[in-house]
Amino acid sequence: MGREVSESCIDSLLTEMVSTYCNRFYANKPELAARRIEAIGYQVGHQLSERYTLERPRFSDHLEAIKFICKDFWSVLFKKQIDNLKTNHRGTFVLQDNRFRWLTRMSIDLSPKNGASEEASIMADNKGVQSMHLYFPCGIIRGALSNLGIPCAVSADISNLPACSFVVRIKA
Amino acid sequence: MTTTACFIIVSRNDIPIYEAEVGSSAKREDAAQLHQFVLHAALDVVQDLAWTTSVMFLKAIDRFNDLVVSVYVTAGHTRFMLLHDSRNDDGIKSFFQEVHELYIKILLNPLYLPGSRITSSHFDTKVRAIARKYL
Repeated sequence: MGREVSESCIDSLLTEMVSTYCNRFYANKPELAARRIEAIGYQVGHQLSERYTLERPRFSDHLEAIKFICKDFWSVLFKKQIDNLKTNHRGTFVLQDNRFRWLTRMSIDLSPKNGASEEASIMADNKGVQSMHLYFPCGIIRGALSNLGIPCAVSADISNLPACSFVVRIKA
Repeated sequence: MTTTACFIIVSRNDIPIYEAEVGSSAKREDAAQLHQFVLHAALDVVQDLAWTTSVMFLKAIDRFNDLVVSVYVTAGHTRFMLLHDSRNDDGIKSFFQEVHELYIKILLNPLYLPGSRITSSHFDTKVRAIARKYL
């Protein structure tokens, strides 16, 4: 099961998927678009986690499964591992990727032409669009962990691009 | 040499999603029900055992008369259970590994709802062919 995929095709497909769901299918309902995109990610994560755990022994606890996501799963998907894993030992994990592959082609459009208020609204707009693109990877992580028996909620934080943090909260 | 063998796949929600009699002996109605009963009864044993170990292939975990139940658990807690009368551990392990690959291919189908019954006749044919090869 080892063939090659064109990376630019993946980038284009994901960009177009987010754009279609946000602008055409659920034009004025961003929450619905976000939920659909996340659901797609959930199914993909479910399938991918089943596929990539074929050869290895099963996991004995939650930390092992999270480490699998950080190392093997992330390297297969993004050709690198998670750079930083933090936990509060009470069910919350923060996975930090310092250069998230799917966001590297995204520009941070800061045009200082107009007044300060304009700039703030442009920034907010950009953040909105970028956060739409993060629902898919959040869904992938949630689908993979749910398949490994860990129900959780995943959110993403992009306060400083191109680094991206995924916060995983395990449902007790 | 005729062998009896009954194979079921049980999803993580304890719902059987696939059943097949894969032995080379002739099918008998009452024997088929007995086989399913024994396999379902063995589910409790699997449940206890699965959490104690991290290997996928748990060998013979239960017996009934001269029939033995062997189980293979995947990372997503899907259980492949085989009721058989032979003692061919290596053959059974290879059988489980090949069926696992087939199962992943079914899962990769975007139109397949995980946890629902596997109705593909292609899957059925392939499983029986693998059973003839390894059991």
